[in-house]
Amino acid sequence: MKSNFIYKSIFAVALLGMASCKPELKEITPTKGSADFSRYIAVGNSLTSGYADNGLFLDGQKNSYPGMIAEQMKAVGGGSFSTPFFKDSEADGSGHLVLKGFDAKGLPQIVMQNTNLAVRPESGAVTLFTKYTGDLNNYGVPGIKLLHITVPQYGNLNGFYERLLPGNAPGNTTPYLDFVTANPYTFFSMWLGNNDILGYASSGGANPADQPTPKATFTALYNLAANKMTDKGAKGVVATIPDVLGTPYFNTVTLASILATVQATAPTVTAIYIKTGANVTRAATAQDYFVLPLLSAGVIGVPTGGIPYGLHPLNPIESKWVLDKDEAAIVADYTNAYNTTIKSVAAAKGLALVDAYALLKEYGAGKDVNGVRVSAAFITGNIFSLDGIHLTPLGYSIVANEFIRSINSKYGSSIPIVDVTKYRGVKFP
Amino acid sequence: MKKILLSFLLAVPILGYSQSFQVNLQGQKQTAMGGAGTGVALDEAAVFFNPGAVSFLKKNGIQAGISPLYLKTAFRENGSNITEYNKDKIATPVMGYAVFGSPANRLRFGIGIYTPFGGAMHWKEDWTGKYTVTSLDLQAIYIQPTLSLKITDNIGIGGGLVYSLGKVDLRRAVPITKSNGEASTAKLKGDAKDFGWNAGIYVQTVSGVSIGITHRSQITATVKNGDAIFDVPDALKASMPTKFNAELPLPATTSIGLGFYPSEKTTIAVDANWVHWSKYKELAFDYDNNARIPDTKSPRNYHDAAALRLGIQNQTTTRLALRAGIAYAFTPVGKGYVTPEVPDANRLLLSAGLGFKASERFLIDLSFLYENVKARNETNIETGLSGEFKTAAYIPGISFSYKW
Repeated sequence: MKSNFIYKSIFAVALLGMASCKPELKEITPTKGSADFSRYIAVGNSLTSGYADNGLFLDGQKNSYPGMIAEQMKAVGGGSFSTPFFKDSEADGSGHLVLKGFDAKGLPQIVMQNTNLAVRPESGAVTLFTKYTGDLNNYGVPGIKLLHITVPQYGNLNGFYERLLPGNAPGNTTPYLDFVTANPYTFFSMWLGNNDILGYASSGGANPADQPTPKATFTALYNLAANKMTDKGAKGVVATIPDVLGTPYFNTVTLASILATVQATAPTVTAIYIKTGANVTRAATAQDYFVLPLLSAGVIGVPTGGIPYGLHPLNPIESKWVLDKDEAAIVADYTNAYNTTIKSVAAAKGLALVDAYALLKEYGAGKDVNGVRVSAAFITGNIFSLDGIHLTPLGYSIVANEFIRSINSKYGSSIPIVDVTKYRGVKFP
Repeated sequence: MKKILLSFLLAVPILGYSQSFQVNLQGQKQTAMGGAGTGVALDEAAVFFNPGAVSFLKKNGIQAGISPLYLKTAFRENGSNITEYNKDKIATPVMGYAVFGSPANRLRFGIGIYTPFGGAMHWKEDWTGKYTVTSLDLQAIYIQPTLSLKITDNIGIGGGLVYSLGKVDLRRAVPITKSNGEASTAKLKGDAKDFGWNAGIYVQTVSGVSIGITHRSQITATVKNGDAIFDVPDALKASMPTKFNAELPLPATTSIGLGFYPSEKTTIAVDANWVHWSKYKELAFDYDNNARIPDTKSPRNYHDAAALRLGIQNQTTTRLALRAGIAYAFTPVGKGYVTPEVPDANRLLLSAGLGFKASERFLIDLSFLYENVKARNETNIETGLSGEFKTAAYIPGISFSYKW
């Protein structure tokens, strides 16, 4: 028994000894390279603010890509980073979509979550939100176009911007570009320009008030913005505009999916009729895009005046549901032109560049990320949120890593990447 | 003592690995000698190492042993500054052998229980690779009744039927977000019962060198109707599989070994193993419901791989034997196929041990094995998981034998 005890003791000592013999990987020391990350600011639109599920709300804000980047920058001398969070008691912010389940046909049931809103009484027709006061690093304003950044009255037209300003609508006169550059900063990210084409596309080209920003105007404003952002010596990173035609917003409802649904009850139907932006009624082709809201609109085949909607030339699908082939070509043309500008300005100013267009194309086509299959598929693709345009926290984390890689390669820094598996996709009930 | 041994034998053994998920801890003497033992008739563990050598054992005996295995793997995702480790988990592969029959006779009988394949890799539930695997417990216990025949004074042949008891428990996260924001999980559990064989020839040459050649057959562990337990959002519960089928080849191993006896007290054993890993082409799971989860076929494309082993034993005094060994095992896992459940790479093994003769009949053997698995930076072609793995294993072992 005694020898047994001795052996047991030897074993115990040996096991304890082994527990302290962890294998070691070569030490990594993150460095800042030639950049200074002590005050990083993020300039941009909804994507920068953390907007998702058709709204700006606390959970989305907490998963913004600038917030993720700033957290990683702390390893290389980055300072504190303030996001204009909604209060916990107003966590639903502007309201946002949630997935409630699936109906008998397997269609997603998506509803608005708006119990704890951060809404103030309107000013004119503009929805206002509870004011944010305090330090600010994430200047993301949902809805802002590049076209708006020099408009003095913009603070009275966009509730998300008004919320950040000290003054109340309709008395604001500070243009966005002046506001974001008012306090000194050492590093910036700027992802602007998406809305200059998005509004046109998402409304099916049907909204006369939301037409693409002229290319020359875009180029002039982008140069102006880049000059202003860098005029005190700050370094930064800019990003191109993703292809909105590659999002679930334009690829979930297709001619094939509409036909399949209709033919389930009316097998003889072989054509779907649309009204184009040029006011022409014709049969839809695979080159025409339908917008995501058509999925749950429940209008297809419903008779008006005895003629089923969309199934007959006399009752075509309205232009607002359709981005026809010609309109899609306009979207592609403007997006390419804007991106050419962004790339050339980035090169001229020596800024790091994230090719978000290429990035979302690559991931949208289907890719395995640490064992997660991601794609541009609606809901199941994991990277696009319930609005079909903005990203999920997982999607934003992939974007954050691309920003980090681009910054590292431009400035010789080694900001560590974020662990994308810590971020979620679409929540299921 | 019997009670302790019995409890070791009855404890559910959870295993580590020695080359991919092959485990080479079948005898304490051999483990202390770098895992070599095909060309020598050392003890009852010859039932495993070379059934042909069993008839050359000078005594009958029974032995039981255990090799508590502590394995630590570090992983760092490329671009990250965070190193993650697998959880501390002591695996306990056991082994037991008995040899009967009169040593004077040409025909001897043996039985062996050992664990040639297994794995116990447990990562934290929220680690970077959670969507590839969070834990794998795998074991195949082989039970092998054996006949060994001395066909001449210098040549022995032997063979045994192998009954394999397999068990797998694989867990991972599933990238479907639950309403609380957490990932879904999957647990795949199943058993397999299969047959195989082990045969060997042992020759004592006139020059004094002994030679052994063995072949252990492949066994394809086949899980039928294993339990697939998916913890997913309520809205998807009905569309999830509940059962799965899978096959895992436990590859054949061909070995050649030599024994040298430079003095009466010294034995040198040299082994070369050829493990037929190329049969492991893919890990496929066939589910009973594919509404949401498609059947998976994960490419593995292993290739055959060798291990070279050298061991020495010195009978220092009548009571004490000292042993040492060195081995090198080549990985069967090709570039792009390294997975976190078996982050395999070429490895160097160093071992030492001692045998103590407590009495004429009762012996204790101790061994210690250190495995240094080379660091390997890989991007998996299936999952995209990209980073560096580094593994070390520390394996003490003890066995008790009784001879008559």
